[in-house]
Amino acid sequence: MNPTTGTPREPAGAPRPARRAVLRTVFTAAVIAGTGAALAPVLLEGHGAAGRAQERDAVGPERFSELYRGREIKGTATAVVAAGAQADAGEAGAVTAAPGIDVRVDGRALHVMRRADGSYLSAVNHYESFPTLLETARAAVDELGTAQLSASSPHTI
Amino acid sequence: MYSRKNQRDLTRTEKKRLVDAILELKRTGRYDEFVTQHRQYYVTDAQSGPRPAHMTPSFFPWHRRYLLEFEKALQAVDSRVSIPYWDWTRDSTASASLWAEGFLGGNGRPGDRQVMTGPFAYRQGNWRIRAGVTDDPFLRRNFGRPSAPVTLPVAADVKRALSDPVYDAAPWNSLSTTGFRNRIEGWGIRGGRGVANHNRVHRWIGGSMAGAASPDDPVFWLHHAFIDLLWARWQKAHPRSRYLPARALPAEDPQRGRIFTLDQPMPPWDVAPSQLMDHTRYYRYV
Repeated sequence: MNPTTGTPREPAGAPRPARRAVLRTVFTAAVIAGTGAALAPVLLEGHGAAGRAQERDAVGPERFSELYRGREIKGTATAVVAAGAQADAGEAGAVTAAPGIDVRVDGRALHVMRRADGSYLSAVNHYESFPTLLETARAAVDELGTAQLSASSPHTI
Repeated sequence: MYSRKNQRDLTRTEKKRLVDAILELKRTGRYDEFVTQHRQYYVTDAQSGPRPAHMTPSFFPWHRRYLLEFEKALQAVDSRVSIPYWDWTRDSTASASLWAEGFLGGNGRPGDRQVMTGPFAYRQGNWRIRAGVTDDPFLRRNFGRPSAPVTLPVAADVKRALSDPVYDAAPWNSLSTTGFRNRIEGWGIRGGRGVANHNRVHRWIGGSMAGAASPDDPVFWLHHAFIDLLWARWQKAHPRSRYLPARALPAEDPQRGRIFTLDQPMPPWDVAPSQLMDHTRYYRYV
């Protein structure tokens, strides 16, 4: 499985081993054309004592676009940010989306956050996490049923 | 001092009083402030900011205080009301009285997951979801998530967590593999264990409860009252065990400034975990 390309037809399964080489590679933001989002590539290394564990669990860049249960899901991760090295915005530090990540369900933004092991959780599934953005998006569709994500994303408020 | 009861033991009148008080908080806008506050303090352990509420040792004391604030708001409406608890190891089916027409209403319907029964059904006109995760103005539930089935935790799951004599353990986040706190908070650990207890219940109810605005579903409070009761049971079972970390973390600890040790005041109330260790100052469980 190549973590640098989308893998829409592959079953998203076991966590991928991330390599130091992956963390050291800069990916351009060119792949996000069509989302309208201006995402800057970010490169941060794991810091301090927790750095090694974060590297081990970091997830590589990912891109996918597929029809899942009749819903169009798209995702891009243009950045490799070691979990824990993520900067915060705002006083409480909350409702901060993971940087460099854009996931959409029928064009609406799915708010995605990360855990310390690099896995993802979304505003739809807030009490479990997934190794890949693709699984995160599919799980969101499973939970949403026929509902549409809110047009006003909470992290822009 | 007042009592928090098992929801299955409430009389019809007690249920009605609770529901009416909740609806009154909703009407005034106070309820939605609680929903927003929970969302605001949901900081993950990949973020570098302070995390008082989730993926953190102060998961229990933060939510204890949060429930106390909500309970105080309820009691300002009706002083006879308190938050009942839902023992989901016992009342574990969709046919439990908890989900009856006269209490919290039932499961969502297929498709849009809209709750159609009970006082919080949208069509009753008293429960409009604002700023939810979806565009829908109605409460959503999706019991057991049929598309990828999930079951409620059972008594043995709770017992296993309660038997851990250590409150919490490094790295003091969602990846703590031992310690009572994360066994109950219930973060799944890759290659280790699945989603458990507290998190699993959120997931089983599904819909609104599975997402970022989970207090939109009033069952949130009954679920967390049981989580709070489990903390009290753990304290009783391990009288020599203490909240951890007990002391400020060393400067080089990556969790320093991100988690709340025993005496560090938690936002938004500026109250330390140490001030919330003894619930009997406020209420008792019956």
